[in-house]
Amino acid sequence: MPILELRDITKIFPGVRANDGVSLRLERGEIVALLGENGAGKSTLMNVVYGLMAPDGGEVFVDGAQVHIKTPRDAIALGIGMVHQHFMLVQTLTVTENIILGHEPSRFGVIDLVSARSKVSDLSTRYGLKVDPDERVADLSVGMQQRVEILKALFQGARILILDEPTAVLTPQEVRELFGVVRSLVAEGLSVVLITHKLDEVMGVADRVVVMRDGRVVGETTPAETDQVGLARMMVGRDVVLSVDKAPSKPGETVLEVRDLAVLDDRRLEALRCISLVVRAGEVVGIAGVDGNGQRELVEAIVGLRKPTSGSISLRGKDITHAAPHATIHAGVSHVPEDRQRRGLVLEFDLAENLVLGDQSDAPYASAGIMHGRVIDETARERIADYDVRTPSIRVLAGNLSGGNQQKLVLAREMGRDPDLLVAAQPTRGLDVGAIEFVHRRILAERDSGKAILLVSMELDEIMSLSDRILVMYEGRVAAELSSEEADAERIGYFMTGGSNKDGAPLQKPATTVAEGGAS
Amino acid sequence: MWLSFFTPDLFASAIRMATPLALAAIGGTICERSGVVNIALEGMMLVGAFFGVVVTLATNNVLLGVGAAIVAGVLLSAIHAFASVTLRMDQVVSGTALNILALGLTGFLMEVIYGHPGATNGIQHIIGPVFNFPTGGTGVLATIWTWIDQIVFSYTPIVYLAIIIAIVAQWAMFHTRWGLRLRALGEHPRAADTVGIRVQAGRYSAVLISGALAGLAGANLTLEQVGVYSDNMTSGRGFIALAANIFGRWTPAGSYLASLLFGFAEALEIRMQSFQSVIHVPVQFFLALPYVLVVIVLAGFMGRAVGPAAVGKPYEKE
Ligand SMILES: Nc1ncnc2c1ncn2[C@@H]1O[C@H](COP(=O)(O)OP(=O)(O)OP(=O)(O)O)[C@@H](O)[C@H]1O
Ligand SMILES: [Mg+2]
Repeated sequence: MPILELRDITKIFPGVRANDGVSLRLERGEIVALLGENGAGKSTLMNVVYGLMAPDGGEVFVDGAQVHIKTPRDAIALGIGMVHQHFMLVQTLTVTENIILGHEPSRFGVIDLVSARSKVSDLSTRYGLKVDPDERVADLSVGMQQRVEILKALFQGARILILDEPTAVLTPQEVRELFGVVRSLVAEGLSVVLITHKLDEVMGVADRVVVMRDGRVVGETTPAETDQVGLARMMVGRDVVLSVDKAPSKPGETVLEVRDLAVLDDRRLEALRCISLVVRAGEVVGIAGVDGNGQRELVEAIVGLRKPTSGSISLRGKDITHAAPHATIHAGVSHVPEDRQRRGLVLEFDLAENLVLGDQSDAPYASAGIMHGRVIDETARERIADYDVRTPSIRVLAGNLSGGNQQKLVLAREMGRDPDLLVAAQPTRGLDVGAIEFVHRRILAERDSGKAILLVSMELDEIMSLSDRILVMYEGRVAAELSSEEADAERIGYFMTGGSNKDGAPLQKPATTVAEGGAS
Repeated sequence: MWLSFFTPDLFASAIRMATPLALAAIGGTICERSGVVNIALEGMMLVGAFFGVVVTLATNNVLLGVGAAIVAGVLLSAIHAFASVTLRMDQVVSGTALNILALGLTGFLMEVIYGHPGATNGIQHIIGPVFNFPTGGTGVLATIWTWIDQIVFSYTPIVYLAIIIAIVAQWAMFHTRWGLRLRALGEHPRAADTVGIRVQAGRYSAVLISGALAGLAGANLTLEQVGVYSDNMTSGRGFIALAANIFGRWTPAGSYLASLLFGFAEALEIRMQSFQSVIHVPVQFFLALPYVLVVIVLAGFMGRAVGPAAVGKPYEKE
């Protein structure tokens, strides 16, 4: 008897059938991967199961008995836990407070923090999910927040765990750890629904794969019966080229020059220590590094969101060290932020409004302080078609798009602006394979048309396949600069974890020509 | 001159003046922590003050008066809760409407019940101090005792109650299940929803609590301080309370302390008026003092104030 069974779930939003008669079965102790393009309806289906959305039709069975899940309370009571695509953590509360929220161990309403904390640390050691129970969630890296989310579901007694794109924000190391945890959970009898766009992960952990497209289940398979190319074809409905070919770059004049830049992070610790780098027209410079080694602060300093303490930034020779964000936009810098919901979009604005953010007071979208609706709407329609944002209309609120389509929206705006410099942080986060292929081609096309591109990504594959030069950051410095020919995962990984090219530590493949880059 | 200016009862008066502000401010803190803006504190205080007197006059029972004040505050806040939580109206609009309603309603009922505008009759016995220790005598010890008696033992029940409420609410907000859920509601209601907390019910209860506290603040004004109700007698205290809540950084204890500052300004205002013959400044200057202080404090001294992230935003599922 399946532990969870969905029959004919239908969910209709204005203009979209997000789920159209979807049936799904999950056996005890099984990991089912749910695949599908951006906007296929995966999150919607799981939100229905979790009681966050009321379905327009269909039935849900848990342990063979029909259930009516109207609220998350009902779902939790049935042993269903969910880690959401966009985390559901209260930033101002501590790790422990977030985990116990809603299920606080207490006596006469007074929270028993001692027992709460010990339960949390029990769970965390049992499953190898290390967290500091007293830290504020706002101060945690996304990987840590992910752990908190999983601990929260376990604390609530989940037997069925839904993970909605849990790896989109994780480093490769964290992904390995996560899947270790997932396997140990399954060994203890939990059942898991895993939503992901990363086909190698699917091949690695899933017992069974269910593929959705346009709100319907279009196929079911197992990793043994197929491969990544086959999965991609099932998802997108056509053959996807999983690797990009690129012509050699023809770098031109210097566009971005960062010299001796020092920047503090939110805790006022030194995040960048005298970093220098150059990005020229017509080249992609990739920044690799373990999350939290200064990449975020570097990006924020360049686009004007963070004040440097010393050093300088210039764009085509013009100083923009202390320029405000709108001034950097005017100077020709576009920015795809790593967190689309926090920095990339106004979720309460519609798509057309989001697509002109940053340019809203400039021609042709406005003149003399008056916005031109028709021009804005026309541009919006063009860009939405261009970037294949799946939506019934441009009047939809950005917050109602699927996660991947929100990402495409940000890309459409920032790349559509025709900048001199594109600073892209995790540009393909949450995108499906087809969309990733598209964005990669687009980035290379921009490069070939003479744009300068600074790419920050935790996906080593992405860095290696797009970059002409790769800078590896470690503890706020450039630990190494590698050309695209000499870069491989092993060597980048070595520098990412603090290996240096100076102390002569043996590399497995001896370094041939490691530029002295920035160990200065 | 300074000796007769800074007397113990100046400080005692500050604490008395701070009491209605603090009660309303703590109500505002609880309400905003749940994610609902409450600019109707003023109106809730006003109906509390009014119905406190009306019921006391009618029944000759001041305890019933206090009860009526609280009920009136709660009823008005129930409208606010319904409008902003259930109907998802704009919370500032709803609050503004309720302030106007409170003003109109009290003015109207004044005519209906007493047949004239302006002020009601005085109630027979305003609520007196809890303690009545003998004072007097001369010498250092007597002076010290006078200070202690004035600053510690001279107050009416609601003044002490407000201090207790501030302490209890502060503790509860950071140590109880209620407090944790309250903080989550105003910060990220959807996250609260996903762990099974009832967002709407939680917000309702917070708004109603703020109504009760603002009503009690009104009772303190009329039944403990003044003894009569006169038109619009809260004169902006609800808004000062809102400022105290912000200055206190959305904590009950902070709200109390900030109210103390504003209460001190009020006490100072009254004291200075009696020194007008010496200081020679127009009386309007003194009257404006507390409000000027609010502006200076909020604009100048406080730095960045970050309230609950989701305050003012109605919560919608899906
Ligand atoms: N609250 C909502 N209001 C209106 N439309 C919505 C809402 N939520 C989702 N949709 C629409 O339903 C469809 C399915 O969205 P869903 O989030 O389930 O996609 P998904 O498969 O999770 O995609 P992704 O991989 O990008 O996260 C999309 O077309 C989306 O625009
Ligand atoms: Mg999704």
